[in-house]
Amino acid sequence: MNEYLQQLEDDELSMLETLDHVLSKGLVIAGEITISVADIDLIFVGLNVLLGSVETIEDVLGQRRAGTNRLAGAPAGEQE
Amino acid sequence: MNLYAYCLSDEATAHMIESVAGVAGAKVHLIEHGSIKAVVSDFQGERARVTRENIFAHESVVHRVLAGTTPLPFRFGMVVSAARLESYLATHKAALSSQLSRVRNTVEMSVKIIWDAEAVKRAAMESEEANPINSSTEMAGPGAAFLAAKRREVAGDETLRKRAGEIASWLERRLSRTVRNSSVRICPTTGMAIAAAHLVGRAWLDEYRSQLAQSREERGDLRFLTSGPWPPYSFCELSP
Repeated sequence: MNEYLQQLEDDELSMLETLDHVLSKGLVIAGEITISVADIDLIFVGLNVLLGSVETIEDVLGQRRAGTNRLAGAPAGEQE
Repeated sequence: MNLYAYCLSDEATAHMIESVAGVAGAKVHLIEHGSIKAVVSDFQGERARVTRENIFAHESVVHRVLAGTTPLPFRFGMVVSAARLESYLATHKAALSSQLSRVRNTVEMSVKIIWDAEAVKRAAMESEEANPINSSTEMAGPGAAFLAAKRREVAGDETLRKRAGEIASWLERRLSRTVRNSSVRICPTTGMAIAAAHLVGRAWLDEYRSQLAQSREERGDLRFLTSGPWPPYSFCELSP
C-alpha cells in the first residue's frame, strides 16, 4: 500500500478519504441501498458495508491509467 | 419524485444551506419532523450514481451544515420517498435525538497509520521466538521443516496483529485527553496498521492536532494519513 500511496496526488488522497467516509459509513434508512458505480449497480445489504481501502486505491490508479475521468469504486463491497 | 437525504439535525437552518447545490444540482431544503430536520433535495429516479460530482455534492451539503452545527450524516446514495423518510423519523425519533445530543459540538477526525507490514512480519518470522527449534527441525526431514515454516508464518501473522494492537493502544493513550469517543479498525494484513475515527469536541480541536503532531514525531517509523474535520460518519449508526 505504501507504493500505492506514494503514487497518489493530494486530491486523489482527499477523494479516497471522502469515499471512505461517504460510501461506507453514516446513517441508512432502509436495510439496503442501491448505488451505481460506473454503470454497475452495487447492492449494499445491511449496515456494515466496507469498501477496502487497498481495493479503492487500486481502482483509482487503474482508472487514472485508463485515462478516464470517471471515478470507480471497488467492484463490490464486502458484505457482512 | 423521491428525495435524496444528506443529513439530520435539530439545529440546521435554511440559511445554512441556501447557497449550496445538491446532488444533480438540485436545490437543498429542510423537511421538519418535530425537533428533527432532514436536509434533502428532490431526486428523479431510484438511485444515485457514484460519480465524483455526486459524491462531492453530497459531502458539500453535509459540510455546509457541519459549519454551523453537528449533523448526523446519511451514507451516500440515500434515496427515499417522502413517506419513507417521515416514517423513519417518526420511528427513530428518540434514538436520533439521543445521537444528536451525543455528537453535539463535536467533529470526526480520521487517522490512518500506514506501515510496512511485510517487513514487520518478516522480522517476526526470523525472530528466535518464532523459530526456537531451528536446528533440530532442519535435521528432521521435509515434513518437520514444512511444519516449522508454517509455524513461523502463523507466528508472523500473530505478531503483526499484536503490533497493530499495540499501535492502536499507544495512539489511544496519546490522544486520550482530547478524544471523546473512538472507533478503531485494526487491519494488520494490509499496509495499513489501523484506521481510527476520533470524535473530538470542537473546542478541543487545536489541542487534538497538537497531540497528534507530537505522536507523529514520536513514531517516525510510521506514516500517518490524517483528515478532518468530518461529520460524525463513524458515530451515528443506530442499533437495529
